[in-house]
Amino acid sequence: MPGERPITRNALLTLGVVAVVALLLAWVQGAGGAKLNDTLALFAIWGIAALSLNLINGTTGILSLGHHGFMLIGGYVTALLILPDSARQQISSSARSAMTPFTLGLSVESWFAALGLEALTTPGTLWVRFVVALFIGGLVAMLFGLIVGIPSLRLKGDYLAIVTFGFGEIIRLTASTSLFAPFTNGALGYAGVPSDFGKSLGWTFALLGITLFVLTKLKFSSHGRALQAIREDEIAAEAMGVSLARHKVMAFTISAFFAGIAGGLWVSYLSAARLDFFLFFLTFFFLVAISVGGTGSYTGVLMGTAVVVFVQQYGDPLERTYPLETWFAILGALVLAAGLGGAAFRRRKRLRPVWHPLTILLAGIGAVVLAVALLFPDAAAFDGTFQAFGMRRILLAVLLITIMALRPEGIMSRAEFSWAWLLRERRAEPSDDERAQDAWLTNPDLNRAGAAAADGAAGSAAGSAADGAAGAADPVEPYDYASDHPSAQGDPLPRALLDDDGPGAHPLLERGTKPRDVQRHGVAGDPDFHPDAPDDGASGDADDDGGDAGGGATDDGDEGRT
Amino acid sequence: MQLGSLYALIALGYTMVYGIIRLINFAHGEVFMVGAFTSYFLFTLAPFALPWALAWSALLAWGVTFVLNLWRGSMRDPLVLAGGGVAFVAFAVALSTSGLNWLAAMLLAMLTTGVLGVVIDRVAYRPLRGAPRISLLITAIAVSFLLQNTGLILFTRNQTPYRPGTSWTEFLQFDVGAGTVYTSRLVFLIPIVTAILVTALTLFVTRTRLGKAMRASAQDAETAQMMGVNVNRVIATTFLLGSMLAAAGGVLWGLNFGSLNQPAVLGILPGIKAFAAAVIGGIGSLPGAVIGGVLLGFLENFVTALFPRTGDFPGLTEYKDTFAFALLIIVLLIRPSGIVGEDLSEKV
Repeated sequence: MPGERPITRNALLTLGVVAVVALLLAWVQGAGGAKLNDTLALFAIWGIAALSLNLINGTTGILSLGHHGFMLIGGYVTALLILPDSARQQISSSARSAMTPFTLGLSVESWFAALGLEALTTPGTLWVRFVVALFIGGLVAMLFGLIVGIPSLRLKGDYLAIVTFGFGEIIRLTASTSLFAPFTNGALGYAGVPSDFGKSLGWTFALLGITLFVLTKLKFSSHGRALQAIREDEIAAEAMGVSLARHKVMAFTISAFFAGIAGGLWVSYLSAARLDFFLFFLTFFFLVAISVGGTGSYTGVLMGTAVVVFVQQYGDPLERTYPLETWFAILGALVLAAGLGGAAFRRRKRLRPVWHPLTILLAGIGAVVLAVALLFPDAAAFDGTFQAFGMRRILLAVLLITIMALRPEGIMSRAEFSWAWLLRERRAEPSDDERAQDAWLTNPDLNRAGAAAADGAAGSAAGSAADGAAGAADPVEPYDYASDHPSAQGDPLPRALLDDDGPGAHPLLERGTKPRDVQRHGVAGDPDFHPDAPDDGASGDADDDGGDAGGGATDDGDEGRT
Repeated sequence: MQLGSLYALIALGYTMVYGIIRLINFAHGEVFMVGAFTSYFLFTLAPFALPWALAWSALLAWGVTFVLNLWRGSMRDPLVLAGGGVAFVAFAVALSTSGLNWLAAMLLAMLTTGVLGVVIDRVAYRPLRGAPRISLLITAIAVSFLLQNTGLILFTRNQTPYRPGTSWTEFLQFDVGAGTVYTSRLVFLIPIVTAILVTALTLFVTRTRLGKAMRASAQDAETAQMMGVNVNRVIATTFLLGSMLAAAGGVLWGLNFGSLNQPAVLGILPGIKAFAAAVIGGIGSLPGAVIGGVLLGFLENFVTALFPRTGDFPGLTEYKDTFAFALLIIVLLIRPSGIVGEDLSEKV
């Protein structure tokens, strides 16, 4: 049992932020527009799903692609349980078969009546039914999580990804067959699912909060550490006594439970359940959210979800029908930007020449297309309109590829958001403790004095005052810095080394130069270095890194050796 | 047999890429889709306006230059410039003459798609060499999504008719003892084209220096690199060849079914089935891919023909797509190394 802990500043801050968010949400639901309300609700629902997927993909490090299957199960179970009888009557009779009385025919009211819970069938208690339905939906999805999780013991990596993808698709394809039509009503699905919950910010955000709380608690529990150990190295984790089977199945079941809950909310949000709501693109969206936010970081995943939901909700101008000339103008601008961006990239990376044939070509084509589209909007080629249906997904895919190429670990990497991190970033002045620590680390001579100070008095050993304090507290003859060492003037390193812009500076210390750059391209101003020469001196031209629009690597210069 | 040959052609791309960089190239099914639609584009929209033909040719010429640049090392190399020029002229001529032969359409589509494969590798996969495999896999999914939705923008119809006006799709009739058997010429054409391509690939892999480098990289990329093999170029070659085979599969697919599905369906389903074929045969092994493809095509037809719709029993036709997934999972669970694949035990 933890003892009494004082309410820390962090907890107070968190509570304060939660209160502000709750007030804002209440205001949005009351006064804000329907669009904003829907966006926030969608954020919460997809947030739950992305968080749960992150438990498998991020924390445990095994790629699962069948999340839409779990959501489908949770969604359909929930819909089946909260569907009002009036909507139930309208379900097409084509789906009816021998099994129909047990599923669509039998009203939920009669189930509750059989259990002696007539009170729960009144309209005012729909929320109780919803909570029960959501929970049952989660449990059924959990069962399927078990079914998917058990084979996953044997597999790893890509094979596991493909198997989970296969399971997700099998769930969807099987649900559409005539065998399961009594449960799912075939391709028609259900309409008229009450949308009181999926669009209510109170419900969705409360469930999001619960999910976030449970999953972050799990992450930092001993089981969570075991999951992270599996991510880092399965074999080492097993050698340290982590049961791979138990933990993988645990990750799958917990993840499937929350996915089922997200599915139930999603069905309620759409006020209908159809099989084509649960295509692979759902899982893909969550994958983008996880990768953008940071695999393994739950708070990062929420940031990624915000990006995805924003593109999804406010990206519709991208998919409207525009005159062809507009699209050409956009295309031209993009190509021009690629050319200019490539030149800027080469300049920043000190790749010469900055105006590479490729960048000139791209910028030229872009400029010409842009000019034609803007100057001759009535040209014959621009006769007609064009709709880019699917542009949002393309945007997300491009975003994912870019993130993966430039920063595979995502925005937050594996770190969680914390107040300390946020506040420390803003503080310019180091504290006295930090200053003392810095002085201690950089100046070996202070070590002796500091140790002496710590021996003598419980103490303040702060920065430049360290020698004074040491002198006062130490009964032994103090070491005389002033006459002996330049660092006594408060300068822990020799001036020449620190002065990085000075004429005598070592090129390796030049600001912004990474060792990798030096290795690849040499140091600016080095007369013996020819940055355009191929690495191994074999045949090759001055532009051996030609044609790389984004990579900037020159390592295809080593040729003629195969 | 036709279906099996098609699966085999696509599966070769999966298996080659997996053999060398241990990546399940999710985007390969979409590359196949692009190949199919490119050839459609070529022989239906061939007589389009000259500026379009020029723009399209310029794009391809640039692509060819790009790919050659990866091998020759410089955009300014005379051979690279010549290659781009030849591609430009060939493509411009092909596009401005109407009624493109299906074979010419197939070759041009193979060229375009091969370039696309190399570009995908260069832009999306190469920055991630040495990164965790999970990142690579996510990128592959993103690329597949990108191509799929680009295809959706260009071809929104559910079914795109695919009739290149060739005598090869006509029906033949044979008189056998019991009666007359009608069959399409494609029954012979598709396996023959497949056999030619597979033989060419085998010769390439076993007889050329680059093929040798490819086999060396598949065994151990790091050691091969130390021995002077340019692994990046080998990988680019792999993507080029795999994508070209996928495009050939796409053309034959269109001939076989007479129409092309929606891009999303056309990318995913044949892709996943071909992947299943590669796994059944043993991923990473070329003969395995062919065996797996033929086997899967046979099984799929066999299962649906064996249990047709009779009375109340709805038959297994609606489970046809589920079947491939189920088979894939079963094979992975029971024998992940496939029929002819070597045992991939974990190195500690």
